[in-house]
Amino acid sequence: MGKLTRREFMCTSAKVGGLVLAGSVSPGILTFARAEAKNEPYLKAGINWRQVEGEQIKVLVTPAHYFNKFRAVTPQFTELTGIKVDFEVIPPREMREKAVLDLGAKTGNYVSHTGDPMFLSLYEANKWVEPLDIYLNDPKLTDKAWFDVEDIIPLWRASDSVKGKLYGMPVEGEATIHIYRKDIYEKLGIKAPETLDELQETAKAAHKMDGKIAGAALRGFRGAGQNVYIWPSLFLAFGGKWFDDKGIPQVNSEAGVKALEFYCNLLQNYGPPGVENMNWPEIMEAFAGGNIVQYIDANSTASIIENPAKSKVAGQIGYQRWPKGPSGRRVTSIWNWTMPINAALSKKKKVATWLYIQWLASRPTQFNSAVFKETQDAVVRTGVNRVSIWSDPEYRKIINYTPDYADVVLTSMKEDTDADWRPRVPEWPKIGEAMAVAIQSALVKQTTPKKALDEANSNISKYMGR
Amino acid sequence: MIYGKGQKKPYKPEYLRRHERFGFWMIAPSMFFLFIMAAFPLIILVIMSGFQLDLTCPAGNRWVGLDNYIEMMRDSRFWHAMKVTAIYTFSTVLLQVITGLALAMAFFRSFRGQGILRVSVLLPMILAPVVVGLAFRTMIMTPEYGILDYFFIWLGLGSKPWLVAPNWALFSVIIIHTWQWTPFAFLVFLASLNGLPMEPLEAAQLDARNSWQRFCHVILPMIRPAVVIVIIFRTMIALRAFAAIFSATGGGPGTATEILNLYTYRESFNSLNLGYGAALGTSLLVITVLVSMFFFRMRKSRI
Repeated sequence: MGKLTRREFMCTSAKVGGLVLAGSVSPGILTFARAEAKNEPYLKAGINWRQVEGEQIKVLVTPAHYFNKFRAVTPQFTELTGIKVDFEVIPPREMREKAVLDLGAKTGNYVSHTGDPMFLSLYEANKWVEPLDIYLNDPKLTDKAWFDVEDIIPLWRASDSVKGKLYGMPVEGEATIHIYRKDIYEKLGIKAPETLDELQETAKAAHKMDGKIAGAALRGFRGAGQNVYIWPSLFLAFGGKWFDDKGIPQVNSEAGVKALEFYCNLLQNYGPPGVENMNWPEIMEAFAGGNIVQYIDANSTASIIENPAKSKVAGQIGYQRWPKGPSGRRVTSIWNWTMPINAALSKKKKVATWLYIQWLASRPTQFNSAVFKETQDAVVRTGVNRVSIWSDPEYRKIINYTPDYADVVLTSMKEDTDADWRPRVPEWPKIGEAMAVAIQSALVKQTTPKKALDEANSNISKYMGR
Repeated sequence: MIYGKGQKKPYKPEYLRRHERFGFWMIAPSMFFLFIMAAFPLIILVIMSGFQLDLTCPAGNRWVGLDNYIEMMRDSRFWHAMKVTAIYTFSTVLLQVITGLALAMAFFRSFRGQGILRVSVLLPMILAPVVVGLAFRTMIMTPEYGILDYFFIWLGLGSKPWLVAPNWALFSVIIIHTWQWTPFAFLVFLASLNGLPMEPLEAAQLDARNSWQRFCHVILPMIRPAVVIVIIFRTMIALRAFAAIFSATGGGPGTATEILNLYTYRESFNSLNLGYGAALGTSLLVITVLVSMFFFRMRKSRI
């Protein structure tokens, strides 16, 4: 082969370059056209989505399946707005600590995180986050009619508000419901329990019926978001109140002690081995493996236990609202993942963050992400934040595990709880920790329910300055 | 060198002083980083412990002097944590010294396959404590499905509540720590045994009535410095243990395995009561320093 002259070299390079260019332009146009179609529902909003184009933001999220979906659809947001979104994915407890450290040190590393509504009072007391009404009421930033914040489940908004102002946007949530094995109930000839006492009866009847299966499970793992995510429902259903009219804590009231005794009896006698350290994933997996008759936990677990690839008991499951307590009330939890805006950010980053939160909480994204298949065996999201989607026949068809599943969840969310299911005060982290220790100590018989709650109550009094 | 009265500092030639200056600048960066990374945080910790610094009620944050320490004296959870720390430290150190010494004696004489066995004995030490804690929690001590329970059930002893009953859990975390760190003691003891002069050992072989006597009266006194060093190191490490317990039990069930270090963490980062957490941290620091000083004294006076 002869030597390449300079001229030949230039010429070849140009040809190659031209080919490469031509090759990239045509798909470019196609992508653009596709993007237009995808962006169409968002372009109906009367705001300029590209107002802070080129910004880059970083969000802390947990590795839950619903956030995987959010992450999977986020490239569409970047296409729409030109804002790049990075994620840092770490488990909930570590995420919470990281978020608090970042907020407290005002470093502004994370523009937002998938937060715990119970922490919003704390954030507000420290002025770490901004009220969202600034953004909601700015016509340049939000098209109110298009975004329709009223459509977001009202109780979730209430639980994410401090002193009447919204501080975090609910993007995903759940209610706890009673999930049981229909086939086992039928085999034993028992009906779904109406009351907590009946629940205990069914657990007793079914416990070890095949020598192994456990009668019932509830979260036993220690933590403000673990065992203190179940016990408050029992506490309130037994007629308890966190504080009396004068604001004095009442967790060691008769109702409190009875509720804890019920919890301990149920798990000590009919729980699976090791329930003391079980959080929802362990319970869900034991149930999916056919080792538990029933549990009360998040409705979102349904999308896994009804997936035949992941569960032995798919299709044999019944759902109902919490059984009634002695007070006659059914009480479910209130939970949503909330996204606040870090107050330590620059103005432009705040706008970028708001645009992302608005986009994520909007009806089209909520719907698309719910059914988005990021992998072959991806499950659906059962925690969309909008009433209109819950009543949308298309969505209801997708989550039609049983004919009444959607209604069980929706009614639970609407009727069986209130925003103050757990006390929303800045001192919550301490209260939650004290309760978590008390509940678990009683469960493992380190102390009695009464003594455990007495100690918790005196600690809570101290925290609240009473 | 002794200098007479009225004598000035000895003359130091320029090249020596240059050497000293050079030496100073050589270690300056590491001293600087040591200060930033170790001393500075400790000073901040002690200062913080004099404040009420509570993120959950920022309005009340102020200088409170010794209030946090007075509060600590009345805090039953603190005393419980102290008790657990004492039990944990004492039993893990004792078990490590005994098993480490036994293993070292076993490996003292050469036998076939020693190489492989020696490596396998050292393996646990290479693992990160978090990994060890998680492995024990999810594989080895899991109820019914765990490896230990498998053997217990197979032997007819039934499933045991390894990590879920308060006393069992404390026992289990002690075992986990011992399992992971005995290799350290083993390594030190073996090195020290191999360094012993042969003559006394041979004489003992002839004079001692049995090998137990030989061990107690000849070998043990000779490796005493190594034993003390192991006790010092392991006590200091056991006092500030964290990761393995944290990932195996989280200090639970209840507060059964909550050593002082874990309580400090919970108070600071779960309850967000940073001032009180700092006071707990300072007390742990003081305890560790006192205990180490005691052991170092002991080592000095008798050797």
